[in-house]
Amino acid sequence: MTTLGRDAALVAGLLASVLCGLALGGPAVGPADALSALAGHATPEVRTIVFALRLPRLLLALGVGAALALAGAALQTLLSNPLADPFLLGVSGGGAAAATLAYALLPAALLGAVPLAAVLGAAGTTAAVWWMARGPLGSSSTRLILAGIAANAFTSAIILAVVATAPPVRLPGALAITMGSFAAATPTAVVWLAPYLLVPTAVLAWHARDLGLLALGEESAAALGVEPGPVRQRIFLAAAALSGGAVAFAGVIGFVGLATPHLCRLVWGNDVRRLLPRVAAAGAALTALGDLVARRALSPVELPVGVITALLGVPFFVALLRRAP
Amino acid sequence: MILLESRKLCGGYGGSVAVRDVDLVVEEGTCTVILGPNGAGKSTLLRLLAGILPPTGGEVTLLGRPLPSWRRREVARRIGYLPQFVDFSFPLTVEEVVEQGRAPHLGPWRPPDPHDRAAIRRALERMELVPFARRPVRTLSGGERQRVLLARALATEPLLLLLDEPAAALDVRHQMELVAVVQELRRGGTSVVLVLHDWNLGLRLADQVLLLQGGAVVAAGRPEALLNEELFRSVFGVAVRLLAADPGPPHLVPVGVA
Repeated sequence: MTTLGRDAALVAGLLASVLCGLALGGPAVGPADALSALAGHATPEVRTIVFALRLPRLLLALGVGAALALAGAALQTLLSNPLADPFLLGVSGGGAAAATLAYALLPAALLGAVPLAAVLGAAGTTAAVWWMARGPLGSSSTRLILAGIAANAFTSAIILAVVATAPPVRLPGALAITMGSFAAATPTAVVWLAPYLLVPTAVLAWHARDLGLLALGEESAAALGVEPGPVRQRIFLAAAALSGGAVAFAGVIGFVGLATPHLCRLVWGNDVRRLLPRVAAAGAALTALGDLVARRALSPVELPVGVITALLGVPFFVALLRRAP
Repeated sequence: MILLESRKLCGGYGGSVAVRDVDLVVEEGTCTVILGPNGAGKSTLLRLLAGILPPTGGEVTLLGRPLPSWRRREVARRIGYLPQFVDFSFPLTVEEVVEQGRAPHLGPWRPPDPHDRAAIRRALERMELVPFARRPVRTLSGGERQRVLLARALATEPLLLLLDEPAAALDVRHQMELVAVVQELRRGGTSVVLVLHDWNLGLRLADQVLLLQGGAVVAAGRPEALLNEELFRSVFGVAVRLLAADPGPPHLVPVGVA
């Protein structure tokens, strides 16, 4: 298949995830009614369900999916290690711990700062994992996974402590952050997510060629003209903002950041400039479809989307681990 | 013309000094070989000359200008550097790695043009890598990987190449190919600085030799001036014989621990 054919398949997949998300989102409105709402002929109730409930949920899933996939791609090159993922490394956990802490403790007027807390938590954990994982010859897979275990254990402990002591009125919100789900999506959340997705994406796009060079290690990249210090800091902050933003608006969702860049590399090769937009699109489509499965698999009961991504992602991770040098 | 010069150059890692007071002048179209035992500071010296490791003392000038006053990408266009270790965790193909050699000329977004493509093609052909072009580098042997990295450095078309043990994993035929490549580069006006473990290969290639011990230069000069059993015995801790070779200069042969 040519690159054009592969891109067409990706766009078709993305469109399919959008249409399915709107048409098959739940039992209340069937596909025919949902499609007629899209065409502008439907009752106000149907329009409300499609445009006020399903559309924000779909947009949030697309945005968070793109953010997680890009965060994974950024972390993998930052650590020169293909096993890196915001969830496995505890970066999402760090964001969730800081966000639950902020949600439980901040006065109501300051709850807008929860996403910022998530980004700071994610940044702090990324720095800690970076420090733990790097040996004299870069970060070995073993060190990286062990650093992720340590970070996840620590952040889980904080989350448990918060959940155990949070004021009852804040408990459901704090719990929602720890469970990956788009059930509480609102148009406001979509608007708030935008800067956490768009600004880091612009940073990564600007440094796309540098990211490709960093995949072979810092010394090799420096020899080819990358200023490792400043570039590393910017990519690091971008990865933290993407992971933290995703956690703040949808909770902890694993393995999208691990699997999507790998799948895209298999299809489109390793040129990061070509890869980044496709990683974002594929992450968005996969997460939106994952959310659809989470909603409809055991309907009317709804599963958190994190359950679906973990069920599909863990076998993928095991396969990668077996192949790691 | 002097391409690169170091004066009283010192450097190391985390407080320990690995290179001290190295003076070096690299002229256009010459070959400099750095010899020395393990831990003598050879790789550190190369990193300092490439501007990858900031010096703790002294300075390096490129075309008469101090290295820190150049932008990193400007340096990378002029100095190609072959590191001793490269992390191949990602499944990059040979062609993708060699393409990276053009990155210093391209900036953040410009795609390779026909001139870049031709440079990549020449480098792949020169290192006999065309049949491997689509193979992931991590499936190749150590010597093949070394040729891939050398091709990447050649694709940059720099004024000066700094090669850290480029012959370490090469078989004899590819070592001879390396000799031919270095001589071609030199004829074309490109300078080469190599770290080698093979004394005789180094002495045969070099216009000047730098002998390092404990981070400092213990001897420097034209190769024939350094053909001295006692010097190599004291630096490497081995008994050495100087054997006549016909044709060509005599060979230094280690015959046992001193």
